Amino acid sequence: MTTALTGKGVGRPARTTRETGGTAPTARPKRTWAPYLFISPFYVLYVLFMLVPVGVSLWLSLTEWVGLGTPRWVGLRNYRLLATDISFHRALGNTAVFVLVAICVIVPLALLIAQALHTRGLRARDLWRTAYFVPIVVSPILVALVFGLFFDRQFGLLNSVLRALFGSGGVDWLGDPGLAKVSIALVMMWRWTGYLTIFFLAGLQAVPRELYEAAALDGAGRLRTFSTVTLPSLKPVTAFVVVTSFIGAAQIFEEPYLLTGGGPAESTLSVSMFIYRAAFQRQQFGYAAAAAVVLFALVFGLSQLFNRVLGIGRAAA
Amino acid sequence: MNTAGTRSGRVLLHITLSLLLLAFLTPLLWALSGSFKPRGDIFGYPPDLFPDPFTLDNYRTLLAEQPFVRWFLMSTVVAVVATVVSVFVCALAGYGFAKFRFAGRTLLFNVMFSSLSIPFAVILVPLFVMLVKTGLGSPWFALIVPWVAPAFGIFMMQQYIVQSIPDSVLEAARIDGASEFGIFRRIVLPLLRPSLGALAVWQFLQSYNSFLWPLVLVTDSSQYTLPLGLQTLFVSENRQYDLVLAGAVLAVLPAVALFVVLRKQLLEGLSTGAVKG
Repeated sequence: MTTALTGKGVGRPARTTRETGGTAPTARPKRTWAPYLFISPFYVLYVLFMLVPVGVSLWLSLTEWVGLGTPRWVGLRNYRLLATDISFHRALGNTAVFVLVAICVIVPLALLIAQALHTRGLRARDLWRTAYFVPIVVSPILVALVFGLFFDRQFGLLNSVLRALFGSGGVDWLGDPGLAKVSIALVMMWRWTGYLTIFFLAGLQAVPRELYEAAALDGAGRLRTFSTVTLPSLKPVTAFVVVTSFIGAAQIFEEPYLLTGGGPAESTLSVSMFIYRAAFQRQQFGYAAAAAVVLFALVFGLSQLFNRVLGIGRAAA
Repeated sequence: MNTAGTRSGRVLLHITLSLLLLAFLTPLLWALSGSFKPRGDIFGYPPDLFPDPFTLDNYRTLLAEQPFVRWFLMSTVVAVVATVVSVFVCALAGYGFAKFRFAGRTLLFNVMFSSLSIPFAVILVPLFVMLVKTGLGSPWFALIVPWVAPAFGIFMMQQYIVQSIPDSVLEAARIDGASEFGIFRRIVLPLLRPSLGALAVWQFLQSYNSFLWPLVLVTDSSQYTLPLGLQTLFVSENRQYDLVLAGAVLAVLPAVALFVVLRKQLLEGLSTGAVKG
């Protein structure tokens, strides 16, 4: 970008433009700084508040620092410690479970609901869309509070319902390691399903009707139509939704922090919580940074892989 | 389009959707009704949906005894500033990517797009260190910063501009001698209004509901945002459920109001990018 701006070789200014192999070179041969000015505010902010922090994280991860004084260089020691830290392994494992829940449960559920909402003859479609979306506008603190009471062992709504239906309640939803994970997963479902539904619904509305008519002419049944017409047409949306859910679930924080505090026995501790705990409760800034770098490598690497395989983000190319 | 076929199929569909909807809305309705109950009744068994006796005491106590209004103002002002700045930045960059061909465009776009996959927890510690240790940690600046340059917003704007603003309009303005920024301000921004609304709601919610960053950053209780303030009631020794419920209901009102008003644009705006991918 800077070379293009300074443009040393006055004789051959057009060279950089050619190199990128843009799709529409004929549009305007006149070179202008305008596009760079339009995008520069973003890049200034991006460099200052994204790129620099990631760099600082990398550097901090190689130091030991309690937040005061000068960080002490320790090389790769933080990473070696992470490799044997059972809490970190648990955090990784729990986060992986939440990611799997998002991708394997919430995404298909959202697709099913979208399919149902797309059915012809459905009344008040807008009302459904809106109602399912509402959880996303609710603040995490309300979510945590409501679900905290909802799952409560003695007074919780869930146990009351179970007692009324089956005569036995008193399930310790948040106190049992396995059930605590289930509870967090339920909250995630509540919070994100409707949001993802919106994307699928938009995708379904964009499928050309002729494709369905052709399938009907071929005598394809409902399942057949779904697998040969609907699913392939939804590929771009699905790709987007899967990557979004992956990135979202990989950094889950509020739900476990507010509902279970990561417990019991670290069964709901997420990587984000691990980072928060190391830095702001234990003053291990270098250690937290190392965990952050690991999270970054995993999320960034995997989502780049997803993007490559599923083909998103090529819209501008 | 999928057909429900028989009448009974359609009835079944409506029933299923209603049950699901009930599951989605129960927690919220329950919170709403609880906020009008005396503290002792919130845990009543069996839980009743309609408060009896009905009381406004929770709201009264909250407003009288807690700095709720200050929390609310703090959150709202921060969110409004963050929203205005970020929507402007996104519209600028979205337009730049949508309507110009320039050296490095593909690379810059990919760099921007891949910033979507940097989890916030990754920059949490360095951002904290940078802002607090350099004295820029004033909440008025630091609470706003993480939300001013969202790649998601740029992507959304770019998609919308490509689809809805024809090149011919811009060319005509150029021939009339309009400056590039003049074109953006007088032609592009007005045409973008519906999607700007969508992005604005989205950005507002992101900032208004944010929890982790304020939790780390704000130590002075006089500068608490809404979620932080409510959290203090929630984790205090005698859990003041009655007040938290009232506060949470009040807190969610502006968000819901905004959502109801701009719902159509928001739902459409969010999905513009995803469909074409």
